[in-house]
Amino acid sequence: MKSLKEIQDTFQRGILAGDDAILREIKDSDKENRKVLFGVYRNAYVARLAEILGEDYEQVHAYVGDEAFARLVTAYIAANPSDRRSVRWFGRHLPDFVRERDEYAKHPEVAELALLEKALADAFDGPDAEAINIGALAEVAPEDWPQLVFTPHPTAKRFSFNTNAADIWRALKDEAAPPVPKVLPEPQAILVWRQGFTSHFRPFAPEEAMMWDEAAKGVRFSVLCEMVATFGGEDDAELRAATYLKGWLDTGMLAGFALEPSRPVRDRNSPR
Amino acid sequence: MTADKPPYLGFGLGLRPQHYREILEGSPAIDWFEIISENYMIDGGQPLYMLDRIRERYPIVMHGVSLSIASTAPLDLDYLFELKALADRVKPKWISDHLCWTGVHGVNLHDLLPVPYTEEALDHVVERVGQVQDFLGRRLTLENVSSYITYGQSEMTEWEFVSEVARRADCWLLFDVNNVYVSAFNHGFSTDDFLHGVPRDRVVQFHVAGHSHEETHIIDTHDHPVCDEVWDFYREAVAHFGPVSTMIERDDNIPPLAEVVAELDHARAIAREVLGDRAERGRLEAAE
Repeated sequence: MKSLKEIQDTFQRGILAGDDAILREIKDSDKENRKVLFGVYRNAYVARLAEILGEDYEQVHAYVGDEAFARLVTAYIAANPSDRRSVRWFGRHLPDFVRERDEYAKHPEVAELALLEKALADAFDGPDAEAINIGALAEVAPEDWPQLVFTPHPTAKRFSFNTNAADIWRALKDEAAPPVPKVLPEPQAILVWRQGFTSHFRPFAPEEAMMWDEAAKGVRFSVLCEMVATFGGEDDAELRAATYLKGWLDTGMLAGFALEPSRPVRDRNSPR
Repeated sequence: MTADKPPYLGFGLGLRPQHYREILEGSPAIDWFEIISENYMIDGGQPLYMLDRIRERYPIVMHGVSLSIASTAPLDLDYLFELKALADRVKPKWISDHLCWTGVHGVNLHDLLPVPYTEEALDHVVERVGQVQDFLGRRLTLENVSSYITYGQSEMTEWEFVSEVARRADCWLLFDVNNVYVSAFNHGFSTDDFLHGVPRDRVVQFHVAGHSHEETHIIDTHDHPVCDEVWDFYREAVAHFGPVSTMIERDDNIPPLAEVVAELDHARAIAREVLGDRAERGRLEAAE
């Protein structure tokens, strides 16, 4: 008699690898043969995961169409046995999987579309933090502003897209015809984050992207202003930096600030 | 470990995201909610926020799908820590999962797979339930699953196996009315044998759900309204077990809240017909 461990190994191979050895361990019912009955488990595994991928990558599905999407998810399911307790994480490798497939070698926008969908989903149930708004900075004395450093919202994540995948996503979301895919002359900076309960993304112009990346590293405001001046010219550099900062504050991209080098003023999310 | 039997909560629903707002805005006549534990093992955002709000108004029960208590793979400690952390946050009236395995070798098949009903499997499951109960510091509640196959090596019936697990591991049982119906049809046993085969004092919850009939077998899909045959069996189960916390389980084709509440009202009406005042009285006593 096979041990429980052997039974489970054989059963699992029957689902993942189509191995029929498990049929020797199970019985026909009065009404149906064992192969059909075991097939319920085989079919359910693929069907359940395909459904999950369809929900997670709705716009990829809409963009490539039913047939290509079915091909993609079938290949993905075969190549990536689920290794997490929740199906929430099953599709996390799909953007990389698409990028490596020959079928999409000439369509790099598909992997980036998948990456954007994944990023929005990750932001949706990412860590909580109360965002700060412009009013929070009112308590900072003008002479202290050069020392300000900022903490991004924990869901905020920066991407750099080589294609117009973000425009394609937007059109598909609006159920409009997507624009013709193209590789951009310069990569497009994108920030994904959650405001309230809703995931958002926004393209950053190159200067704003530069300032965001430096701010996220903890560079203080006076240095950020100097960098903006170097990047885009000294005229109005402080005004431009302040405008970017206000935009971030108005849309919940920041979760805290402090005064460098040593005086933390306010970070609502630091442990108390 | 608390020795107290979970309270009788009355008539509840599975909490689904589609219904968050209606629940919070309408305060519908639902006595309690069951959550799928894994859906809330996340960092933050709307699901946990909504759960916290709903938890302020309704008792919550945690129902997992990935414990894999009958697997021969080692217990997943990371999962257990997350489960315990969620329980600390939610303070559920009880924690349930399924008497099944979900994968080996680090793979999760995301299905509730049956074990052969053997002494070996029994020893294995009993030991693991003990370990999990020690870890959580409370008794587990285990649910009978729907199954489509039977193993040649099984040495006992499913209800004998379930009963022995409950007795030897000292855990509670979630009697899934639909699953008994589905497995009885698929394997040709009598639902009454199952009903009378499990210990009455161990059953703390009922699940009632819909399924898909495929002529030669029934698949437990939870995507249909509850059918008349399952309601008839629910009536028998209520008559046999007395007041048991009852829940309508819908996981796919989720209808508007009012439709599921109507099904719940049907369960309530059946329980009232069978039990009279006891259908509500037990719940009120538990709430006090």
